[in-house]
Amino acid sequence: MAAPFTLRKIGVPPNSANLTEARRRVFDFFRAACRSLPTVMDIYNLQDVVAPSQLRFAISAQIRNNAHVTDPKGMEELTDIVDHAKQRHHIIGQYVVGEGLVQNTGSKDQGKSDFLKNFYTSNYV
Amino acid sequence: MGVGILASRAIRPASRLLRSQPSNLFLRTIVSKPELQSPEAAAVSQPEPPKNQILPPRNPVGGARVHFTNPEDAIEVFVDGYAVKVPKGFTVLQACEVAGVDIPRFCYHSRLSIAGNCRMCLVEVEKSPKPVASCAMPALPGMKIKTDTPIAKKAREGVMEFLLMNHPLDCPICDQGGECDLQDQSMAFGSDRGRFTEMKRSVVDKNLGPLVKTVMTRCIQCTRCVRFASEVAGVQDLGMLGRGSGEEIGTYVEKLMTSELSGNVIDICPVGALTSKPFAFKARNWELKGTETIDVSDAVGSNIRVDSRGPEVMRIIPRLNEDINEEWISDKTRFSYDGLKRQRLSDPMIRDSDGRFKAVSWRDALAVVGDIIHQVKSDEIVGIAGQLSDAESMMVLKDFVNRMGSDNVWCEGTAVGVDADLRYSYLMNSSISGLENADLFLLVGTQPRVEAAMVNARICKTVRASNAKVAYIGPPADFNYDCKHLGTGPDTLKEIAEGRHPFCSALKNAKNPAIIVGAGLFNRTDKDAILSAVESIAQANNVVRPDWNGLNYLLLYAAQAAALDLGLIQQSAKALESAKFVYLMGADDVDVDKIPKDAFVVYQGHHGDKAVYRANVILPASAFTEKEGTYENTEGFTQQTVPAVPTVGDARDDWKIVRALSEVSGVNLPYNSIEGVRSRIKSVAPNLVHTDEREPAAFGPSLKPECKETMSTTPFKPVVENFYMTNAITRASKIMAQCSAVLLKK
Repeated sequence: MAAPFTLRKIGVPPNSANLTEARRRVFDFFRAACRSLPTVMDIYNLQDVVAPSQLRFAISAQIRNNAHVTDPKGMEELTDIVDHAKQRHHIIGQYVVGEGLVQNTGSKDQGKSDFLKNFYTSNYV
Repeated sequence: MGVGILASRAIRPASRLLRSQPSNLFLRTIVSKPELQSPEAAAVSQPEPPKNQILPPRNPVGGARVHFTNPEDAIEVFVDGYAVKVPKGFTVLQACEVAGVDIPRFCYHSRLSIAGNCRMCLVEVEKSPKPVASCAMPALPGMKIKTDTPIAKKAREGVMEFLLMNHPLDCPICDQGGECDLQDQSMAFGSDRGRFTEMKRSVVDKNLGPLVKTVMTRCIQCTRCVRFASEVAGVQDLGMLGRGSGEEIGTYVEKLMTSELSGNVIDICPVGALTSKPFAFKARNWELKGTETIDVSDAVGSNIRVDSRGPEVMRIIPRLNEDINEEWISDKTRFSYDGLKRQRLSDPMIRDSDGRFKAVSWRDALAVVGDIIHQVKSDEIVGIAGQLSDAESMMVLKDFVNRMGSDNVWCEGTAVGVDADLRYSYLMNSSISGLENADLFLLVGTQPRVEAAMVNARICKTVRASNAKVAYIGPPADFNYDCKHLGTGPDTLKEIAEGRHPFCSALKNAKNPAIIVGAGLFNRTDKDAILSAVESIAQANNVVRPDWNGLNYLLLYAAQAAALDLGLIQQSAKALESAKFVYLMGADDVDVDKIPKDAFVVYQGHHGDKAVYRANVILPASAFTEKEGTYENTEGFTQQTVPAVPTVGDARDDWKIVRALSEVSGVNLPYNSIEGVRSRIKSVAPNLVHTDEREPAAFGPSLKPECKETMSTTPFKPVVENFYMTNAITRASKIMAQCSAVLLKK
């Protein structure tokens, strides 16, 4: 187990001075997030569910998606996760399943036709 | 009810959607001006229209077709300057209807005899000193009828004023508000002010039973209910007592209306004097959504309109269908809707080890059933369809059970040995409307009054119109027409078949004899002998001819005809006793004691009725008001129900449940949509796919092989013990319980 990695509170000004400044901040954020990954996996017991590389992929995808906005929100999110303010199902829902990383292969849903799935949902599907 | 359409069209012509003629250039807005109110204006003669005026074409009222029985006998009359050709016996009112002019009326009804006492239908006829009652006056050739002259308008205003004089100011509390003929016609034809300043009279209310609510103060003495009761229902319960302003409608003695058609007086009454007691104060007619569907309480398939408000059925009203039920429905059809709200199954349930039911999810329930069905041998699987099952679900059930390797799937009411090879042997071959042409009826083992009230109404109509004779073999029962009771059992039938009975001469002399055999006879052990005796009678008396087929079988349940068409027949008598897996699809009349104690019973239905108590798994299904299903009536007429309200709880459609179960059990049925099921039905019984069409039987009795069995001597038993409690819905209904407690003859 790595030594606990403390997240230094980086006060992020709302607007960076120029583009290089912004890029530097984004990379710093990514680096901080990846370094906090083992802690996160330990807190939420994600060892069996997902591999760190997949989570990194998820984080980078999120950063790419939000490339056009400033990212203090990303910092807040990271702080929340490391502080155990979120719960397991949040993490799994937002970063694991949301990116299509883990296939939900329940044995009962395998091989079910659309008719049966609609039947279980409601009479009027 | 009908004239309201005219009246509202007159007031708001643009908002009428149904049946508005596309070329509606000739809108008659009815207006009265002050200068026309004076008596001099009435005496002024109208200017003659120019001789060569081209009048716009007119269609008969309601898009009706005129039937000329004798085309040479057509007369020409002039209605408002428009020439129409009408058959000879038509009245002035009917001639105006052909010309597209709807004349207001209260006492006239097209299916009842003419009374002529309301005087609202007065029209002006040239060369007549007074306006004439158009409902009673026969149309003579060359008559010039004028319906919109000041005289006619003044007459209508006067009649309206008189009617409203003694009519109570009950509109806010009257159930008929919104669909009241008096309201509509007073808006359209009445004057805007009244001159009555005295006290109004009031009348004491009569008790007609738990179905018809009477507020006799509102009665306008049109006598429609009196004529209906004596002519259509055949019971002379109601009459007019007293004279003048003291006239009252009632039963002279303290008598309840016990007739099975008593609910129809509610539709007939133009005002709120006779209303539906279960529907009293429940809803106004404009907040109800009407859905046109079919009734399944008996095998007639009466056309109904289900009025619902949200998820609840508020009332049931008849729809016009000339061939089946005309404009009437039986009390059971009309008032059993409150059974749809009680004892409903809404979740799948599995019986625990302690004997109590536990609600589970669909997944678990189907998984359990799918497991168990693979542990039994194929000939120990039995499927029984109920009396309210639609054709789609019966098709899927039969396919599923057959693919599991078993042939034991049948419908309630079909005993062993009923063969469905030839369709004539279980249908009403002369069709319900064709019964009107018969002049002699022989009823064998059937009481149509309790089994199929609409068929009984048709027989009553025929007896009244053409003085047909009716003879009956069976247990003593009461009929609302003159009926000769020939005997109680197969002995009488044998005598007639051998020609020894005095009735045989009447049979030979009849031009169109009709024999009606009840489906209750299908359950007897000597069924073959009885049916072959009936067929020999038919043969000997020329009952089955190319132009007239009088051999009729009256089925009991709505699902029976479709089941027999699809092939759901019971092959072996011991199938139920040796079953290990029983699938009851709404089957409540099954003798539960016959099911072995170790059999696994699945009940799929919508009410927790009798068979549920033996079930191991309950699968909730939808009732007939909630699903789109195909039903075939006893004459072979295919119709479809339409969903009016959503399903209750977690229930599903019947065919969907069986299809899902088949998938969970690993059986692959080749369809997964209702169109797929229907195309499968088309390959089995294509007449079930042609809705609103009657498919007559192709072959007659000549193909049946000879029968060697002998008849037993046990007399025929009545099939329906309690008219008001015959299926799961009626048994759960509080209104039906009240009726059977109060109205049945002890």
